[in-house]
Amino acid sequence: MIVFNYIASFFLIVLGFYCIVVKYNLVKTVIGLSIADYGVNLLIITIGFNPGGTAPIFTPGELTQASYFVDPIPQALTLTSIVIGACVTAMSLALVIKLKESYGTLDTREIRRLRG
Amino acid sequence: MSTEFVRHFPIFAIMLYFLGAFLIVMLGKVRALRHGIAFVATAGPLALLIALVKPIMIDGGIIAYWMGNRVPAGGYAIGIALEVDALGLFFGLLIATAVFVSCLYSFRYMERDDNVPQYYTLFLMLAGGVMGLVLSGDLFNMFIMVEILTFAAVALTAFRNRANGALEAAFKYLVVGCMGSTCILAGTILLYAQARTLNFAQLSALIPGNLGTSTKLAFALLFIGFSTKAFIVPFHPLAADAHGAAPASISVLISGVLTKSGIYGLIRLTYFLFQTMELGTMQFWLVFLGSVSMFVCVTMALAQHDFKRLLAFHSISQIGYVLTAVGLATGLGVSAGLYHAMNHTLFKGLLFLAAGAVLHETGTTDLNRLGGLAKKMPHTTALFLIGAASISGIPPFNGFASKWMIYQAAYQKAAETGNIGFALVTIIALVTSTLTLASFVKVSQSVFFGRLPKEYEKVQEVPFGMRFAMGILALLCILTGLFPGLVTKYLTEPAARAVFSVGTYINSMMGEGTIILQNPVVNFAQAGVWSPINWLFLLIIALLAITIVAISGKYDRVREMNAEKPEGKYDLFFGGEESVYSQVGGEDLFWGFKHNWRHYFGFMHELHSGVVNDYALWAVVALALAIVYATIVL
Repeated sequence: MIVFNYIASFFLIVLGFYCIVVKYNLVKTVIGLSIADYGVNLLIITIGFNPGGTAPIFTPGELTQASYFVDPIPQALTLTSIVIGACVTAMSLALVIKLKESYGTLDTREIRRLRG
Repeated sequence: MSTEFVRHFPIFAIMLYFLGAFLIVMLGKVRALRHGIAFVATAGPLALLIALVKPIMIDGGIIAYWMGNRVPAGGYAIGIALEVDALGLFFGLLIATAVFVSCLYSFRYMERDDNVPQYYTLFLMLAGGVMGLVLSGDLFNMFIMVEILTFAAVALTAFRNRANGALEAAFKYLVVGCMGSTCILAGTILLYAQARTLNFAQLSALIPGNLGTSTKLAFALLFIGFSTKAFIVPFHPLAADAHGAAPASISVLISGVLTKSGIYGLIRLTYFLFQTMELGTMQFWLVFLGSVSMFVCVTMALAQHDFKRLLAFHSISQIGYVLTAVGLATGLGVSAGLYHAMNHTLFKGLLFLAAGAVLHETGTTDLNRLGGLAKKMPHTTALFLIGAASISGIPPFNGFASKWMIYQAAYQKAAETGNIGFALVTIIALVTSTLTLASFVKVSQSVFFGRLPKEYEKVQEVPFGMRFAMGILALLCILTGLFPGLVTKYLTEPAARAVFSVGTYINSMMGEGTIILQNPVVNFAQAGVWSPINWLFLLIIALLAITIVAISGKYDRVREMNAEKPEGKYDLFFGGEESVYSQVGGEDLFWGFKHNWRHYFGFMHELHSGVVNDYALWAVVALALAIVYATIVL
């Protein structure tokens, strides 16, 4: 049932945002960002999916009106999005390491020298 | 120059930045080579875009460029497109100018840092990302560019990671910025689900009038996504943190270029993609958000005692002006908003570079520790004062010209619609302008005037390269203030006309006859016109008067000292008891005002708690409100 995919993807996005808002640990914030990102990836793949479709790989001349395949564009978008998600995780974890070194804590409530 | 040839300029403008970034990774170890590559990679796009002014701004053409010449087949856009209309070119010119000047400044400013090649790589990636965003004609491409620029900006914010708060600012910016990017991606893909295309022009043809629930959700997601890039309320704390921590040459890009990309995204979203600006509520919300941004941020700026953090809040306050003017949805309003966006890039860049010059020489930006630098850094002081006069809207500098147009546009709108609220906006804008001036009086008093602390006796003027970069911006500030007629005629009015020509935009991309949309008649007439030349004469006369009084007073004083007469205290202008000098710190100058408003300032101080969870919560609440608005009203 494809509708569960939609429900799951929005559930993941909301869960990710919830995690960012509620959790005070920097690493958990990063996890929240990743979860939201996975939710969007699932959404993209679901939008491009046609039940029963074949892989969208054709040689010239093979493509006819009767061909039934999944939409290839969202798959390309998902690949890009996954790469970007990996970059976000890598960069934020690098910042977390540096923050731990200079502040000595991972608690967001104590990392607030810039305020007001 | 034939249009066939000119068509390839936009892609070269984008690729030069990325190519420069790539070459610096390989060859950047050598200083001369690094500077040469960076110079060519920033000057090249500027020259290419200036060459486009004639065919696009003056002749009114639109460049539609399909990568690999994959033109639309069967009415569906399958290739990746670049589309450059007057609006895109206008923002492109701003970006190229700011990047070029910032690069010139960086040559000397960054020379004491380590890992300089990486700095230039990220710098050019950031520039390329923004340029790609404003010249792109493809929604997914816009998302990619948003990610590139967010990444480069976060990395550059943390570049001086031993500076106070740099890591913290970068992390907060990364979290909320990535929430915004996620929203943009989700919105993009929801639009794709509805229309099965990612081309901007085709989406603009298909979406308006066919709004389903998912497209309404997409509107809310995209709106919040681009708002995080523009740093309007409630995303302003991130801007303040990031500007304060980043090197000054990057603050110029964050305030002059990144916020512009957000504004550009909002214009494209509301005027083109959904064409919602005819709705009264949409106009109301944009004007409301703009007014709140300008007022909240200017009061936040008054309470700051860090030079760059204060400038950062002013930056968002000025973005509020731009958003307000754009939200008026009249020809004059949009033209005024774009004019102010341009001026914002110029004067804010100048002020940040001046703050960077102070940091470069003294090693601090704390207003309470600085003072009296005018004697040591006279050129920087003069350039800073030009920037301060511009941002405060003092004629004949450029801030006045655009603010004047915004006031007029708001009044005109009030007269047209009979809604008194738009006239109130003018009053808020005027009050904000006054508070801006007050806060710059404080800055110039506590940084450049007053007594020089002992530790800064050996401070010198900054190197010529840095003063030259600031001088370019100061000159542009004066020129755009003195010739508002030329600026509006050749830059902002064509861009504002492009904002209202959605039909032309779609047809030049997808082929003639794709959509039949009558372009509305756009009226740029102002109710009252002003001549900056008169004000220039007035300014010169006032300066002359001050000089004469000062010189005559000095002579008197010298004579008195020679004669050792104590009557000096009865002198006109220069009399009075001799007082003990006391440093008026940045915090104290407006203490009376702040005391009366102490509840407000205390509340705001508590609110900007610095905890990233709070800022994320604001973003989520804003998203929820936007979704509710989109579902009910659209």
